[in-house]
This record gives sequence, structure tokens and C-alpha cells, in this order.
Amino acid sequence: MSKKDALLSVSIANTRDLSEVISNIYQYLNRHKEYLNSLNVFPVPDGDTGLNMVLTLQGAIAQMVGKTDLDISAGAYLKELADNMLLNSRGCSGVILSLFVQGFANVVSNNDFSKENIYKAIENGYKNAYEGTENPQEGTMLTLMRAFRDFFYEQMQNEDDPLLIIREIIPKLKEVLNQTPEMLPVLKQAGVVDSGASGFIILLEGIDKELKNHHITGISIPSLLGIGKTLRQLLKDRRSNLRKNPMLPLILNINSNRVYNNRLQEVIEDARKVFSHINNRISLQKKIINDLQEIDRSWNPEIKYRYCTEFTLESDLTSKEYLKEKLNGYGDSLMIIQSDNKFKIHIHTNKPNDIFEEVSKLGDLLFTKVDDMKKQHRNFISEDFVDYERDKSIFCIVSGKGFAEILKNLGADDILCYGQNKPSVNQILKNLNNLKAKNIIAAADDYDILMALKLAVSLCKSNVYIVESDNPISLISMMMNISKEYDITTMFDQAMKNLHTIPFSAIARATRNVTGENGLVVNKNEYFAVYRKSIIAANTQLHQLIIEIIDKFAGDSILITLYKGERVKNNDELLQVLKLRYPNIEFEVYDGGQSKFEYYITFE
Amino acid sequence: MEKKIFFITADNLGLIREQIDYPYLEILKFPVIVEGKEYRQSDEFNAKWLISKYENENVVAQTSTLVQKEIIEIVEKNKSDFDLMIHVLMSSGLSAASFKVAENVRKQYENVIPIINVDSRQAVNGVGNVLLAIIDIVKANPALSREEIERKAQEVVESTFSYFVVNDLKYLYKGGRIGKAQSLMGSILHIIPVIGILGTEVEGIVVPIGKGRTFKQVNSMIYDKIIEKMNEKSVSKIKRIISISGYGDKNADVYTELFEKVKSIPHDDYIDGKPALVDTVYVGPGGYGVSVYL
Repeated sequence: MSKKDALLSVSIANTRDLSEVISNIYQYLNRHKEYLNSLNVFPVPDGDTGLNMVLTLQGAIAQMVGKTDLDISAGAYLKELADNMLLNSRGCSGVILSLFVQGFANVVSNNDFSKENIYKAIENGYKNAYEGTENPQEGTMLTLMRAFRDFFYEQMQNEDDPLLIIREIIPKLKEVLNQTPEMLPVLKQAGVVDSGASGFIILLEGIDKELKNHHITGISIPSLLGIGKTLRQLLKDRRSNLRKNPMLPLILNINSNRVYNNRLQEVIEDARKVFSHINNRISLQKKIINDLQEIDRSWNPEIKYRYCTEFTLESDLTSKEYLKEKLNGYGDSLMIIQSDNKFKIHIHTNKPNDIFEEVSKLGDLLFTKVDDMKKQHRNFISEDFVDYERDKSIFCIVSGKGFAEILKNLGADDILCYGQNKPSVNQILKNLNNLKAKNIIAAADDYDILMALKLAVSLCKSNVYIVESDNPISLISMMMNISKEYDITTMFDQAMKNLHTIPFSAIARATRNVTGENGLVVNKNEYFAVYRKSIIAANTQLHQLIIEIIDKFAGDSILITLYKGERVKNNDELLQVLKLRYPNIEFEVYDGGQSKFEYYITFE
Repeated sequence: MEKKIFFITADNLGLIREQIDYPYLEILKFPVIVEGKEYRQSDEFNAKWLISKYENENVVAQTSTLVQKEIIEIVEKNKSDFDLMIHVLMSSGLSAASFKVAENVRKQYENVIPIINVDSRQAVNGVGNVLLAIIDIVKANPALSREEIERKAQEVVESTFSYFVVNDLKYLYKGGRIGKAQSLMGSILHIIPVIGILGTEVEGIVVPIGKGRTFKQVNSMIYDKIIEKMNEKSVSKIKRIISISGYGDKNADVYTELFEKVKSIPHDDYIDGKPALVDTVYVGPGGYGVSVYL
């Protein structure tokens, strides 16, 4: 028996083998993520079908760790995996796939993996996915699921091993996939096959490990759109200039096999005829321009509902029907899946927060996710495409290497550390994009940076949640109370709630004469203390000012922390004085490295 | 029909024998390896002894899996006198090997006496909480079927939540029990980590709950988390609280503050748990915690 056949005849009734097969399928799908993203035009071209399918499977697999060590049957394992897929499902494609797996798993939970029962499972998977989808459309993953059922039935008359049956029918399913543009006009217009349907086939291919070395080396969508633009310019060029145009040979020599967009392939063929004078009739040139315009329109549609919104609601007070009625008016692509008293809901809307407020009255929101599809779309079709590598990240902008180090240790994924000069929009944007995260929480230690941060966020490809902080102590407080275990909206709530939990005073040296809001005059070179944005004290002696501030604010504090600025070299003497003066208070000193303030002093 | 049930558990349960009001119970002792030598809990080798070793000699300690032979001896000794055995184990996510050993024994005696292995998804006083709750259930309903006991035990597991303050995560880290709480390690800023073992977490591993800079902050955090869980589960009263402390003399005033705070929440039962040699390996000097069964 060859290795390949040995793998195919793996007994999937064994949980450990089954978990390995699922893990391999996930790996395989992950390798093809970008390809699937590049096909994504329906229902909205936001370029995340592959990512959504991968995250759905990834989230479920993470919940299954350690399950194979327990006495759990393969059927029960699949059922639990299916439940976890539903709870972790992302986007339309993730939801439909999860529904299929749920229907499938419900049948094989009896551990009968005969071809007859697998057929029943596929049938139930298709039924579950179809019935669970609002407005089911032909030419999508659903069509492929039905074809899978029908071909499986045909092939099972000749073959007993379910895995071998699947291998045999993959080519037939690919034929159906190629017909999807005929079923769904938006696919034809865009020149692609359906991304979800492709994902479904890739999942089936993943079972067949023979295909694991199959690599996709297609031309990216932004480059393809660039080809279209170049073609339009070439057609406008005067014939004498055309020969000198360096883009002409490039276009003429494009390898058609690398262009997955069928319609663009046809356009390039037509353009070759025109430029090689095989056929340069005006009618053909018009057809090329018309085709290019249509392709362009399909990849740049008007996005009616901007936010792809998903959440899990736990409620004993509602029903699927009630939620459907309540939410229908908020947008489109509504999908509601129910598992006991948990409802997993997906909708495209312009008012995600209104929806959250509405459903919060019915029960507990366990998970929320909001993707800005306009941003995703812009990222998808732009040349400097960002390939998201993680779901969420925390980004801080701070003055002082000491603070940067502290925040990094507390879990910030990236820090932009600046000195005397505030960071530019470009610098901030570069850092944000380098994170390659779909969602980012961003915070700075100075209000003056907020404008630049907001501008950078408007240009950034990720969904960025700005925490409007204005000092490094708030950033520490935020990092002390934030947990990446939660979803991004909960993380953002945690960040906002905990911004001002640590009282502090900042001490700086005046570079000119100033008068505080309360009339307090601070002369040039005097030290002054700021508390809640007001100048509250001044002194020519730094240490005396610090003692004055501690006297004023220590109260019941048991821990006082001093964060030294870059100009403070040694404060051992100060520390000794403080310890003697306040024997019941613990003092800690850290290098903040900030340039503006000599000290930040916190009271806890 | 009324069943005669024998319980088995191990000594990392935050309780001593006298605190468990059930006659048919055997507590196994986990082997603890200190500097290559094996010890078991005794009057001489206890939490205080290991804390002193940690503080004065900087020793490295580890634990070993439950010994299969010792479980078999208990089963052999009692199999003829009982209808069912219930083995309450520490979380399989923290000690998969011990759970495996217990499963081997269950399978070996499949046709002799039924054994239910309860994966408590807990450690220390959390195991104690799960054990006492199951004992209460079988005492109150002696005629429950095996399946009903299994179902109710699972409900107990999913209603038990434990929170710990550990001065230093290195003991958990060295013992390989750090789980997701690793994210709390390595801070330049001195932080006090709060970790949890939550019955609703299927992995049954240590999870980070949060971090504070003062004990007051972390105690409040634990109190808030307990209230949050009660709200989530819609309960107005805790069925049982088991506190644990006594890992050396450190933090005596701060853990008393926490326990008083938690005791102010309506509850049916409060037990002042006792540390054992085995849990000291991971908790380290000055650690403390509370477990609540809702």
C-alpha cells in the first residue's frame, strides 16, 4: 500500500487520527487563504473569505486541545468541533461552512463512518447550511455542497472508502465551481469563481494530502487591476508612441495561467490581438474598454452596509424568529444560528452599536466583532496590501525608552517611542500597518499626537480603536487591566474604563515664566507640579516639591512609584529621605526616560 | 436503590481529612521531589517545611504523577464493600498523566466495580470544593444512578471557580503548570499576578485573571471576579467558599483582608482550607487564594 493510500484508509473512527486529519485540512486551507481572499467579490468584495474560513477552523481547533487524550468518540469529537466552529465562525463563509459541519456531525455522532451514513451526513450538512442561510444564492458554497452530495451518491455505487470517493469527485466539483460565474452575475462580471465554493473544494482537497504540495502562484488582485489600468492607457496611446511604451511587452507576455480572473484573461487575449494587429477593429477596442470598466466596477462597488458585524448572544428571553424580525431592518446578509440559549448572529450594517444596544436588553453579549468592510476592501485592492497575521494587537506611542520597555512587558505588541519630536502621520501609519493585525487598539501618551494618530488611522488598513489617552500612566493603567483573551470590543471597553484609575502628578521644569489657571506664578527654571491637568505647586528645589506633592496626595496610599525622566541621573538621596519620612509607604523607582517631565509620581 | 459509594482523591485539595465529613474516603499522597529525593506529606514534611527550603536554600521542587499501584491497592481493599467508586482528580489540563493513570485503573476494573473519574478542572482548594459538593449530592440523593451522578458532578465542576495570588510565578513556571498565565511573567514593573482555574474553561488550565500593583488592588479584583461569576450564573449566594493560605508567614494581613471581603458575600458554608506539601511546590511563599462553588 502506498503512503498516499495508507493515509486515505486512515480509520476516521479513531479520534486521534481524526484530529490529525482536521489539523492537516486546516493547514492546507491556511496555505490557500490568500488565493481565496483574492476571489472574494460576493456578497461584498472585502477580501476575507479565506481568512474567515481559516479563523473559523482555527478557533474551533484551539478549543479541542487535549480532547483526544480523553475517552471521546470520533463522532462526539466531530460534534463538539462543529459546535465550536459555530461559536467561532467568522463572516458569511465561516457561518455557512460551520452550518454544514454541524449538520454533518449531527449524523455521524453515532460513530457510523460507513459510506451510506457519510452520504446521509453530507445531505444533512447541505440541508442545515441551506436552511440556515437567509436568501440562499446559487453559484456559492451552497451549490458546491449540493453537488458534493449528488456526486458522492453517484460515486458510492462504485467505491466503498468514503475518502476515496471524495478524491474521485473533486475534479467533478471543480467543473461545477467553474460554472459558478454563470449562476451568479456578480462573479461573471468580476471574472472569478465563487470564493466560498473554492474554499469548500480546498477543504476537500485538504483531506487528500496528495495535493499538499500544490502551490498557487497567481497574480494578485491589485496587480490585476493595475494591468487593467495599463491596458486602458495603452489603448489611448497614439500608435507611434505605443511601440516605445515599455508596458506593452509586459502586457503581451503575461502568462495567462497566472491570471485567475477569467474575464481579464479574455481581455488580455483581445488586447494581444489589437496590439499585434491581428484584429484592431474599433469594436474590439470598445469591447475591451467596456469589459475593463465592468471588471473595475465589480471590484469597486458601492458598499451599502459598511460593517460586518458578528456577535454571540446568550438569552433565555428570545427566539431566532424574534431576533430575525428585530434585526432585519438594520442591514443585510443576516444569519442567525441557535445552539440552546446561544445565538450566533452575523449581519452587514451601518449601525453595529445600535444593534448591540438593542440585543443587550435581551441577554448577555458573549462575543462581538465589527469589521469595517470599506477598510478591508481598500486594503484588498491596494498595491501595499496588508496580509493580516493576527486578529488583534495593542499599539502604544510613548516618550521614553523606559516607558516603552514597561509597556512592552505588560503586553503591548508594538511601541513607537519618540523623543523631543512628535511622530509623523507616516511613522504612525507604518507602525500600524507593520502590526498586520485585523484589529488594533492604539493609544498615545500626549494629546498633541492624537490628531496625527487619527489621520494615520484613517489611512490604515486595519480596524483601529483609538484610546484617547494623554499620559504614560494611563497607558500603564490600560495595560494592567486589558486582556487579549477577550474580543476587541471588550478589550476596548476595558481600556477606556481603566484609563484614569491611577492618580498621579507630573513634575517638570519651566522653560519660561507661566501662570497656572489658579493664578499660581511659575518662574523660568522653577519646578512645577501638574495634577489633573492643572499646575498646583512650584518650587525652585525639585526634592522639596516632590515632598510637598507626596504630603498632599499620599493619603491612604501604600505604594508610591516614581518614573524618572531622561534628565534625572541619580535620586538615591531623594529615595532615602522619602523612606524615612513615610515609613508606612513602599517606594518604587523606574526609568521612564520621558523628555518633558522630570518625574511622574503615582499613588496607589 | 441506595448505593454505597467510596471516594478517592489526592492531597492537593486544600483540605485535611478531618474537614471532610464522609467516612468512606481515601486521600492519596502525591510524590514530591526535592533536590532529587522523594517526599510525601507528613507532620515533618509539609507546606511550612518546603517554604522554608524555598526561602533559605533556594531548592528546586517538583511533583510526580499519582502512583497507579497505590490507587489499585485502594480499589482492591474496598471493591467488595461498595457499589461505586468516585475518584475526584485535579484538572487533567494540569496533570494529564495522573488522569491517565486513574483512567487505566477504571478500565482495569470495568467488570469488577464501576469507577467514575471526575476531572475537577481544578487544583488545591478547588479540588476540595468539587469533592465536598459531590459528597453532599450523593449524601442527599443516595439512589442516584451512575449517569445522574456523572451529570451532576459535571455541573459541580462547571460551577467551581478558584482565584490565587502568587507572589512569584516562577514556581508554576518551573513546574510546567503556568498555562496561559505565562503572559503575566517577565514584567519590569513589579506586578502582583492573579491567576484563576475556572470550571467553565474546558482546557482546565491556569488562566491569567489580571494584575495589580498592590495587594489591595488584587484582592478587590478577585472580589469583583467572584461577583461577576455570580451574576453570570444568576446566583445570589455562594454555596461554599474554601480559602487557602499558610504558605509561610508572608502576606498574612493581606489574605485575611481578602477572606473577610469574600465572606461578606452571602454564602452557605465557609472553610478555612489547609495547604499541603504538593501544592506548595507551585504556589510558593506567600501565595493565597479562594475557591467558590456557586
